Amino acid sequence: MKEKFARWDILFLQYLKRDWKKIIFWILGVGLFSGAFVPAFEEIAKGQGLAGMFETLQNPAMISMVGPTPVETTADYTIGAMYAHEMLLFCGLFAMIMAVLHVIGHTRKEEDLGLTELVRSFQIGRQANSLAAMAEVVVINVLLGLFISGLLIVFNVDTISVQGSFLFGASIGMAGVIGAVIGLVMAQIMPASSSATGSALGIVGLLYIIRAGTDVSNVNFSMFNPLGWTYLTYPFTDNNWLPIIYALIFSVMMAILAFALEGGRDMGAGYLPEREGRGNAKRSLLSVRGLFIKLNKGVTIGWLIGFLIMGAAYGSIYGDMQTFLESNEMMKQMFAQSGVSIEESFTATIMMVMIALVSILPIVIVNKLFAEESRQHLSQLHATKVTRGQFYWTTIGIAVIAGLIGTLLAAGGLGGTAVSVMGDSAAMDISDFLAAGYNFLPSVLFFTALAALALGWAPRLGKIVYAYLGYSFILNYFDGILDLPEWFLKTAVQSWIPQMPMDSFDAPVFITITIISIALMIIGYLGYSRRDMVEGA
Amino acid sequence: MTEIVKIKELQKKFGKFQALSDVTFTVGAGEVVGFIGPNGAGKSTTIRALLGIIKRDAGKAEIFGRDVWKDSLEIHKRISYVPGDVALWGSLTGGEIIDLFMKLHGGGDKQKRDYLIKRFELDPKKKAKGYSKGNRQKVGLIAALSVDSDLYIFDEPTSGLDPLMEAVFQEEVERIKETGKSILLSSHILSEVERLADRVVIIRQGEIVESGTLDELRHLTRSAVTLATEDDVSGMESVEGVHDFIQKDNQATFSADNKYINDILMEATKLGVKKFEAVPPTLEDLFMRHYEG
Ligand SMILES: Nc1ncnc2c1ncn2[C@@H]1O[C@H](COP(=O)(O)OP(=O)(O)OP(=O)(O)O)[C@@H](O)[C@H]1O
Ligand SMILES: [Mg+2]
Repeated sequence: MKEKFARWDILFLQYLKRDWKKIIFWILGVGLFSGAFVPAFEEIAKGQGLAGMFETLQNPAMISMVGPTPVETTADYTIGAMYAHEMLLFCGLFAMIMAVLHVIGHTRKEEDLGLTELVRSFQIGRQANSLAAMAEVVVINVLLGLFISGLLIVFNVDTISVQGSFLFGASIGMAGVIGAVIGLVMAQIMPASSSATGSALGIVGLLYIIRAGTDVSNVNFSMFNPLGWTYLTYPFTDNNWLPIIYALIFSVMMAILAFALEGGRDMGAGYLPEREGRGNAKRSLLSVRGLFIKLNKGVTIGWLIGFLIMGAAYGSIYGDMQTFLESNEMMKQMFAQSGVSIEESFTATIMMVMIALVSILPIVIVNKLFAEESRQHLSQLHATKVTRGQFYWTTIGIAVIAGLIGTLLAAGGLGGTAVSVMGDSAAMDISDFLAAGYNFLPSVLFFTALAALALGWAPRLGKIVYAYLGYSFILNYFDGILDLPEWFLKTAVQSWIPQMPMDSFDAPVFITITIISIALMIIGYLGYSRRDMVEGA
Repeated sequence: MTEIVKIKELQKKFGKFQALSDVTFTVGAGEVVGFIGPNGAGKSTTIRALLGIIKRDAGKAEIFGRDVWKDSLEIHKRISYVPGDVALWGSLTGGEIIDLFMKLHGGGDKQKRDYLIKRFELDPKKKAKGYSKGNRQKVGLIAALSVDSDLYIFDEPTSGLDPLMEAVFQEEVERIKETGKSILLSSHILSEVERLADRVVIIRQGEIVESGTLDELRHLTRSAVTLATEDDVSGMESVEGVHDFIQKDNQATFSADNKYINDILMEATKLGVKKFEAVPPTLEDLFMRHYEG
């Protein structure tokens, strides 16, 4: 036992030293995001704000996004209740994703890069690295939790109690730890760091979607969901510490599982078996297109399945909507007045969220070309008659097609499931869903084009496109909750596009964004065809 | 002799760092040129500029009489390249990657491929992730040697190969050479260069410091001479072309400029030669002189 973890503490201190800047950014970033919006919420709460928000968030579309509240009457809906209701799930998710990326980056990724090999040649235990990385994440999340709690307490709002503040911070910190153990387990099972990251994030995404379904249909089921253990603590209202205990037990069990799995495998190997391959290539591989399709296949299929499940999960909520409306007189009136059905309003909101997620896939595919380039996978191919244009446009083509199929699966999954659960009472048919989905196609193209532009002119900035996507996503996500100024909202590309089926289709906007995107792709090509290939350096 | 590769005053900067400041040399038809120099001298950078992977800042670079940047595709139809660190897709097998390279190059010979796979003792059914460094290198070599090209560019092609495989590589290169193909070979294994190269080009800090046939280069340097005479040998010290003179009784060792070797011999005969041994410099000596100097 000692042997396995020998001198992990040295690595641990080394990691803290190496990562301190990242850690500060992480804690400040996630912490401020989670704790510093109290004044904004005080602003919203003025006048009829709390009551209005309480009603808005009864909408199943909102519940599926932000989660439920235990509060039953408007009178009990305090600032604290609202804060936890709107912020906790999202911030927990944020902390979880950060932890997944960090843990896999420090364990499996280093193994793939050959760094671990070097470390293990010193007097360091075989599993010391994983333990050190895990300990680091736990420390970071404890600090993060305390920081958030402190921040909330400092604002000194009546309904944001000290106990609630600690619970709020603990829930987010715990979410981070859950993310870390999920990451650590996947790092053992998968054959490489990229598939470990993909599958761990996929699991987190799946947990989120499943809870969207259970939150709307029956919240008690969300209690079986590790992601549920964050927001179901209901800080400032029920102050329920029980989910934190579940989460602790779960994390310890998962960590033990991960260490056992790691103990049983060789460095660099996973548990999914490697089969003997083919001695000769299939014809379908023998072209740039064939090669790129093969290289992107695993990741693409993973994401596409994710989109389909996501659509289907949200689609299943449609069956409960009318029942929900029957039980809520106020909502019923609201929808009756606005002339938009509850289904249409839900579709419009959810579609924007889903298509933002669909946009990730084309960005992943475009960025892959630069990853291939910098790993020097292409150097020998550059010396053949293959043109740079072939590399570039093949990649863009695959990315766009993946975006088209992703939209089809997400919108089709949503529509298909929705139509079937609504049965005869269905007011919309599948074509309405597909139209609403493809209505956002220009935004998918726009993100693809931004990635292409980066690939051509500043390939190292390719990752920033994710940041812009995240930013646009957050803007749209919070638009329903906070009343953001128009100009600010318009910095997100999706905000230019009307939300069907609630709004009607706007052809000029659709065409303009599409043309801008194509132009950006061409500009990206001009850069790509001229610049030095980056090899390793 | 027609020039297959022609580089003149090639320059390249990475940011502020001048990686290549003045690279000028040629590779003739049917010629094997050894391209040597210390780490970081600019060998790979020169080769990448030749392949159009990076764009030069100034100077001329032509292959088959065409500009390496503008006409890269035409050029690439007739060249093969093996980098010093062949990086492969972990999820594909060696066999699949070789087939792919051959297909993208065009004009591959399947029989040649199978023959080379056997000669290099490669298991083509293994996923590239599981290959050792040497085996990855073999994949690159087999792919490059299986296609028919007029110019082969090798950048430290044998790094990681065991001595047996290195010998196989050298034999295969000799066979290509016999068919009249041109080869640019960058390598740190000087015995390999000595064996294969007709001409050697030495680069240092982005500049070509020497080039010529091995014989020409030898001529430019000094031989190690041991001389024993009947009369007092000390008079030899002042003869032009004699350096590092060390005397022990009537025997002396010194290094002699090769171009003065005739004069030195004439002077020596006047003293009555009992013994005269001259060892020509090895490539290694040449190399050391340039690396250190
Ligand atoms: N993309 C790049 N960006 C910045 N500097 C670079 C880049 N590529 C090469 N260099 C620098 O240019 C110089 C020449 O590098 P090059 O790879 O050509 O050397 P080399 O002669 O091939 O050396 P070695 O024998 O080690 O392979 C080095 O100092 C290197 O650091
Ligand atoms: Mg080099």
